[in-house]
Amino acid sequence: MSSLASAFRAELAAVLGDRQVRLIVLLALVIYAVIYPLPYRAELLRDVPVVLVDQDGSTASADLARRVDASEAVALTHRAPDMAQATRLVHERRAYGVMLIPDGFERALLRGDQSPVALYADASYFLMYQRVMQGAAVPLRQMGAEIEAGRLIAQGTPRAVAAAQVSPATQIEVPLFNPAAGYATYVLPAAFVLILQQTMLMGLALAATRRGSLPGHPVWRLLGRAGAWLTIWSGLLPVYLIVLPVLYGLPILGNPGALMMLGLPFLLATGLLAQLVAALFRRAEIVQVVLLALGLPFFFLSGFAWPAEAIPAHLNAVAQLIPSTAAIDGFVRVTQMGASLPEIAPILWHLWALTALLGASVLMVDALRTGKRSS
Amino acid sequence: MLAVMAREIRLLPRRPALAGLVIVLPLVMLLVLGGIFRAGIPTGMAVAVIDLDRSDLSRAVTRMLDAAPELTVTHRASDLSEARSLIVSGAVRGAVLMPQNLERDITRGARPEIVTFYDNQHMSAGSLVARGARNAIDTALAGLRLSVRQGQGEAPVQAMVALQPIPMQAHALFNPAFDYVHFLLAALIPTVLQIIAAAATAYAVSLDFGPGRHPRVLMRMAGGILPAMLGKILPYTVIFLLILGLSDVALYGWLAVPLRGSLWLMALGAVLFVLASQMIGALAFVLTRDMGRAASLIAIITAPAFGFMGLGFPREAMSTLAQAWGAVIPGTWYVQLRIDQSLRATPIDISAMSVLWLTVIAGVLVALVLLRLWRLSRQQAPA
Repeated sequence: MSSLASAFRAELAAVLGDRQVRLIVLLALVIYAVIYPLPYRAELLRDVPVVLVDQDGSTASADLARRVDASEAVALTHRAPDMAQATRLVHERRAYGVMLIPDGFERALLRGDQSPVALYADASYFLMYQRVMQGAAVPLRQMGAEIEAGRLIAQGTPRAVAAAQVSPATQIEVPLFNPAAGYATYVLPAAFVLILQQTMLMGLALAATRRGSLPGHPVWRLLGRAGAWLTIWSGLLPVYLIVLPVLYGLPILGNPGALMMLGLPFLLATGLLAQLVAALFRRAEIVQVVLLALGLPFFFLSGFAWPAEAIPAHLNAVAQLIPSTAAIDGFVRVTQMGASLPEIAPILWHLWALTALLGASVLMVDALRTGKRSS
Repeated sequence: MLAVMAREIRLLPRRPALAGLVIVLPLVMLLVLGGIFRAGIPTGMAVAVIDLDRSDLSRAVTRMLDAAPELTVTHRASDLSEARSLIVSGAVRGAVLMPQNLERDITRGARPEIVTFYDNQHMSAGSLVARGARNAIDTALAGLRLSVRQGQGEAPVQAMVALQPIPMQAHALFNPAFDYVHFLLAALIPTVLQIIAAAATAYAVSLDFGPGRHPRVLMRMAGGILPAMLGKILPYTVIFLLILGLSDVALYGWLAVPLRGSLWLMALGAVLFVLASQMIGALAFVLTRDMGRAASLIAIITAPAFGFMGLGFPREAMSTLAQAWGAVIPGTWYVQLRIDQSLRATPIDISAMSVLWLTVIAGVLVALVLLRLWRLSRQQAPA
């Protein structure tokens, strides 16, 4: 029991007393909290610039251009006489799409023929492409429906019947959670979990590389250390997952109880992983560089930004051994989607199983090392 | 200078930690990142159907949903709260609600509503689900409208034309296959390499210029600060360029990413990018003279760099401050150059701007490192 207490005190001193570890844990909080969200402060894409190439120059083409320009998603900011000049504007990133209304647009409509419009959207940016398509497709469809209904009415179909024939059912799309499709709301809650994990891994692994040996049973020593991790990070976890999101104006739906239930196994698993990282790489400089480089791959392995459905099975299996994979999923579901405890039960089990597995591995590595030392 | 370079290369196998950082770590990163995105666009994402109508029509819509490449209908929910719970727990990514009397209301012309709910917190997957459902329902409704018109005696071709007076011909510029893997990989690999190049260079420099070391041996060997520094750094430049080249072979060869622009411009950009990244590391070390603090400095600049490159959220939409911060990071310009020259086939005069920026950044960093080293050597000389 005394070895538990001494391990607890030694670990606290190792983390809080070491200047470099303190720098990582506290400075990182300030810097990541300020720098990382910087690109996403704008949140929403409104009035994405689009070039209009109006080769028809008619009343109908002007009407269509006005409707598209009025949409929230895009704005027709440039006009170009031909596609070559329009494409150059897209290459310069001054516009993200081109709407081409061909010569004869109005004539074809008046004749009752199909009168196509071409939309070129910059697909190198997923978000831009979506906004441009959305901004143009809705007014186009509306105008098309009005024309179709007008033609039916001209043929003698009653107004109500014509409307129903043009669109027999209304299609409604309801985005659940993040209804405004804000980018910060999307990416920051997940990023904060990853940053918490990476700085915790770095701090604890550095402390572990500098640790001398302590007396006592390895299980008690490990429990003592784990107590120290929880003492320090149970203060930092709410900062990352509640205070920062509130400061950035992100919605928080979940209850603090579920947050703590997830936080406990997540912090334990991360602390244990840090011990393994330290045992594997041994030197402080190497540990830091490796963990820095791993941040992005960990983020994309977590299945948050890049759906798990698209990650090859064997890599996905490896990803399950990283605490952030389950933790990002769990924390995002609790804080952003208001998941209840039963709804995240599989994630909780996953994190506890991971904690047990990592704990056993740490003890095994410990035993191997002391075995080597004594022989 | 050559003597320093030769010494550096000779020492590399004897320093396994350094060799691991500059060779093994980047290669492992390459494999992992390539592996994650190898499968391409996600397909078959789970959705639930809330079919309150149980008619021929609702079953047809369900079949259409299941047939969409983006979707697989995995669950049937009996009401909205059940569907919501499925979405919240992650069992499905969206749900389509078909109300009672859907078929009857459609034939009566009452225009009932079909509602698609999707998880927009996981925006990338959610928007794919919404798109898949939208197209499937549109197809089902178009079939319905077509059969009404044909029932009124219109010829099939004529009816098809009448359905869409203004069809939209959508073209995905620069990315016809709509595959983001190319873009993500083209940016992720340089981002990770930027971190490793900066950190590994700082570490390599620390081995000779750190406290307790004697950089003057090195300087005498090379005959000056500049050749000593270059001799120290250039061997790693070559190694990182080889790794970048290997990733290009993998990307453009194995993953068949199109290469539409000037290879020479890309190569020039790569040299400048690697040098600038290394200089971030060298500068961080000569400023702090402590590997731990240098690593923290490097982390501040290189770790959040990906967001500033504007791949997810475009740079042009960021605040001026965020744009400026991104502009001083070499990776931002190199990734832009890479994407412009490989995928967008940007005219060379536009891309030259990226190369110019890279040159300026690399130049300023080299100057700062030399200035700092010169001061350090003057401080040491009297002692």
